[in-house]
Amino acid sequence: MNIGTRKILDRSFTAVGIGSIIVMALALMFVVVPIVTNGIGAVFFTGTVEHRKMLFNEFKRGDSQGLSSEVASSDRYRSKVYDMLTGFEAELETMAPEKKKEYKEKYAQVRSAVQALLGPLPGDSTPMLTRFKYGQTRWEKAEEKLHDLLYESKWDNSNPNVMSKEYFVSRAIGFEGTSLVKLFPYVKDNLEKMLLPDFTVYWGFITDSSVDSHFFGGIWPEIQGTFFLAIGAMLFAFPLGVVAAVYFTEYAKPGFLNSMLRSANSTLAGVPSIVFGMFGLAFFINTMKVSESKSVIAGALTLAIMILPTIIRAAEEAILAVPKTYREASLSLGSTKWNTIATVILPAALPGILTGAVISLGRAAGETAPIIFTAAVSVGSAIGLADVFSSPTPALSWNIYNLASEHEAASQIRHVQYGMVLALVSIVLLLNLSAIVLRARISKKLKG
Amino acid sequence: MAEESVGERNRTNTFVLSARKRTMQKAAKTAGEGVLFAVASFVAVIVLFIFYFVARDAVPFFQIRGFSEFFTSSNWYPASDPAEFGALAIIYGSLMVTLGSALIAVPMGVAAAICLSDILPFSIRQYAKPVIEMLAAIPSVAFGFFALVIFAPLMQNNGGPMLMWAWWILVSPFMLLAVIVISDLLTTKIKEQKRRQQLHIFFLIFFGFLSILLLFKVGTVLYGIQILTGTNALNVSIILSFMALPTIVSVSEDALQAVGRDLREGSYALGATRAETIIKTILPAASSGILAAVILGIMRALGETMVVWMASGNSSQIPEPWFNYLQAIRTLTATIAGDMGEADQVTGSARFHVLFAMGLLLLVISFISNLVSERIVVRQRKILSGQ
Amino acid sequence: MTVDAKETSESAQLQKATRDIYLPPERKKISGDDTIHISAKEFSIYYGDFEAVKRVSVDIISKYVTAIIGPSGCGKSTFLRAINRMNDLIPSCHTTGALLFDGEDVYGKFTDEVLLRKKVGMVFQKPNPFPKSIFDNIAYGPRLHGVNDKKKLMEIVERSLKKAAIWDEVCDRLDKNALGLSGGQQQRLCVARTLAVEPEVLLLDEPTSALDPKATAKIEDLIQELRGSYTIMIVTHNMQQASRVSDSTMFFYEGVLVEHASTAQLFTNPKDPMTEDYITGRFS
Repeated sequence: MNIGTRKILDRSFTAVGIGSIIVMALALMFVVVPIVTNGIGAVFFTGTVEHRKMLFNEFKRGDSQGLSSEVASSDRYRSKVYDMLTGFEAELETMAPEKKKEYKEKYAQVRSAVQALLGPLPGDSTPMLTRFKYGQTRWEKAEEKLHDLLYESKWDNSNPNVMSKEYFVSRAIGFEGTSLVKLFPYVKDNLEKMLLPDFTVYWGFITDSSVDSHFFGGIWPEIQGTFFLAIGAMLFAFPLGVVAAVYFTEYAKPGFLNSMLRSANSTLAGVPSIVFGMFGLAFFINTMKVSESKSVIAGALTLAIMILPTIIRAAEEAILAVPKTYREASLSLGSTKWNTIATVILPAALPGILTGAVISLGRAAGETAPIIFTAAVSVGSAIGLADVFSSPTPALSWNIYNLASEHEAASQIRHVQYGMVLALVSIVLLLNLSAIVLRARISKKLKG
Repeated sequence: MAEESVGERNRTNTFVLSARKRTMQKAAKTAGEGVLFAVASFVAVIVLFIFYFVARDAVPFFQIRGFSEFFTSSNWYPASDPAEFGALAIIYGSLMVTLGSALIAVPMGVAAAICLSDILPFSIRQYAKPVIEMLAAIPSVAFGFFALVIFAPLMQNNGGPMLMWAWWILVSPFMLLAVIVISDLLTTKIKEQKRRQQLHIFFLIFFGFLSILLLFKVGTVLYGIQILTGTNALNVSIILSFMALPTIVSVSEDALQAVGRDLREGSYALGATRAETIIKTILPAASSGILAAVILGIMRALGETMVVWMASGNSSQIPEPWFNYLQAIRTLTATIAGDMGEADQVTGSARFHVLFAMGLLLLVISFISNLVSERIVVRQRKILSGQ
Repeated sequence: MTVDAKETSESAQLQKATRDIYLPPERKKISGDDTIHISAKEFSIYYGDFEAVKRVSVDIISKYVTAIIGPSGCGKSTFLRAINRMNDLIPSCHTTGALLFDGEDVYGKFTDEVLLRKKVGMVFQKPNPFPKSIFDNIAYGPRLHGVNDKKKLMEIVERSLKKAAIWDEVCDRLDKNALGLSGGQQQRLCVARTLAVEPEVLLLDEPTSALDPKATAKIEDLIQELRGSYTIMIVTHNMQQASRVSDSTMFFYEGVLVEHASTAQLFTNPKDPMTEDYITGRFS
């Protein structure tokens, strides 16, 4: 081959490698950036008066005087809407039967759109579900609902070869000639005055429990459940893992038995996470009966088994990285082997072991599959420390799945889902970051 | 007799103990080591337990229903009466996303590993490593959420253009490279300088034109494709490949690092370019380690639950045609996760046991691949250390 | 009984020969009863099948300095490490013959290697302080052996550091990390750490090979200071060092103890041609 061509090949080879690293970095950004930007929206957003009403009623937070004056001013603008609605209802009664039938259905849609936007109308009975007790609490949602009120969505199925397309028709046209036609421009122009949007910082998203399956409130039960599960798993796995690593590095003699144990370790590391979940169900719950049904303890035990190989490996590496000279020095001073391990080797290896443990903690916090059958529930309040042996808990990882895939109104509460994902990703990445920092500090310290 | 004489002597200030004391000391030591061994073998016990308890609940399924339906039928109606438990489509779905993610992750992962170990200077490597570590740390459910909420709608709404751009961006550089190499290879035999140059330019133009034609033809076809659902095998494969990448990169980087400097220097000394050194010398030497990395990465994709559960569409059917990655599929892991809740209550039914049969299948596959990759790594270490 | 008697007479003879080695007329005699402290009899050390030290027989008299010289890989370090059983760390290592310390078999069935090592201290090639404070480094040994009283520990630390001639340099920063000291200081700290457990024997395994000339001189001075208080055995590559610090010198070659003689004699008038070749630098 030509030397020129060979050089081009060489360059392009380098380019492929660098390209794939760049793709990885981009993929990371592509995943993390929307999660962060949208997740922040769960705490920082433009809240409406409905949000403040909700906070006051459900969490007894906020100042009642300011709120009542706000409510009064918004009611002034809302009352016109309500008047228009009642006016049209009266008009409806006077219409001819077929016209009445035609308008009635359309009117019902308008009415429910207004309900969704502003909350229950005067004269409505108090709804059962909290989510219907308030109008839109977030301004960007309110704008979506406003669009729903102004336009009716229809689907274009005319071309059978192409997917049907959505298009919008103004509702105002449908009410041409009636008194209701004035409602639409009025709501459009005065929505701000009816909802009083204001920049809101809602730290309660982290510390509050949820109201009406995450329509309102925060994600504290999930955060707490995640911590219980991850720390519980660590309580079991850490001592076991460190002791096993001490055995493997200091006592094990090469041979068949030892290689079997090592194979077992790597096998355990390769078991799919969902199989851990099945095992947890079959063993801890159905056979050992550590609890009646799902519980934090069963989930923590399952997670502990899952992270055990990682901890053993990290601890082994950390112990092997302790210079041999420490061992010699200690033994030559007349220390027993066990004493040497306890007073010299483990303290020197501790930062390394902790690094591995912190990363495993992150993994335990982030895993979902092992806790599906053993510990997680979709809806629930924060549990007390005494309940960990008997009751299941919500957890961030599981509830992200649940809210995004199984919640009856998944698309309504995207901000909560994003907030949860951000919380989980932050916890895990912060743990990993601290591990990286810890590792950098160890290598500095060992250099003296 | 010796013990007696030792016992008789008074040893206050010496390092030799009495027989009894020494025996006690040894016994204590053995006991201590025994305790440590017991803890260390706990892992092995767990592995055995996992196999036992999964198999214990899996075997009844095969006793009730036999083997053939599970592996050959793709009628999955566990809830209807009579129930059908054909898992072929589900197994196929698992294989499909695993293969898809491997096709993306393996070339990228190996290229990135080579780049990290042989090409990039240390200063850049320092920043690349945390990126890979962070990619590995992001919880699977976050990836699943991303796939479901962000990536799937994106795909569904802009499927055609996305495919076209991906095709152009990914394939055109390689096409260009192929054109250059082919025209070079076709003309190397010609001795006469001037004729060779003329022919070379002709070939460049000819093949260049052909490849541009191909690029645009395929691009237009791809542009016209309508993706009916964003939750499909392609979506899952892409996301899974990013989850498998960190494993592949770090394990194959270790394998590449294990190839010593001597080999590299030897190759450079013979006048090989860096790419030639890597392809002809280093990759063959590290090939088994890289194979182990690939196996581990693939296992990660096969065993992943949350992403496939959330974003694969969960439709138990073999796509039409069989290689259509744009259709919804269903995998073993997602089936276990999704159906256990409904089957749990009726412990003892085939519906409960079939899920354990699937779990056993996963477990056996992962066990075998682990064993194989471990053997490969051990063998490579032996070869490299010259034993 | 007869066997014992014969052995006794043999050892008496050997003892006399050893005394001749250690007490040539020109050397300053050390007050003491000149007992044989360490004694090897047909002592071999194996790594697996490889015989690293071959049937060595030698007697070391207490309180003197013995140097061990020889080319790399000749088994001198292996022999030294055998004395306090540091070779136990290598799984494939085993021994034949006898190695006696205070007349007791070091590799005997009832030997407690931990108690042995308390009596036979060792300083290694590279300074190896623990990543702890200077105080904790010195106090590590005494604490192991049951001294926990803070005041008493302080006394021991001060005495050991003074003995190792490093007290003046570190007395104001006992709580600082020992890894912050210079290489030479670290090595003297290691000597002090060993002295703190009050050993009878001090084994030095090329203690100055990682140090600069100035620090080396300080360590050599220290060895001279400690002569007479401890039985010292030093492995060294440096023949000048051996001739400067030791009373007697052993020359090892390929695992065999070629010659053991008083230092003056070995360096001026070696009996074995191989020794001569080595000390004149014909091979190394």
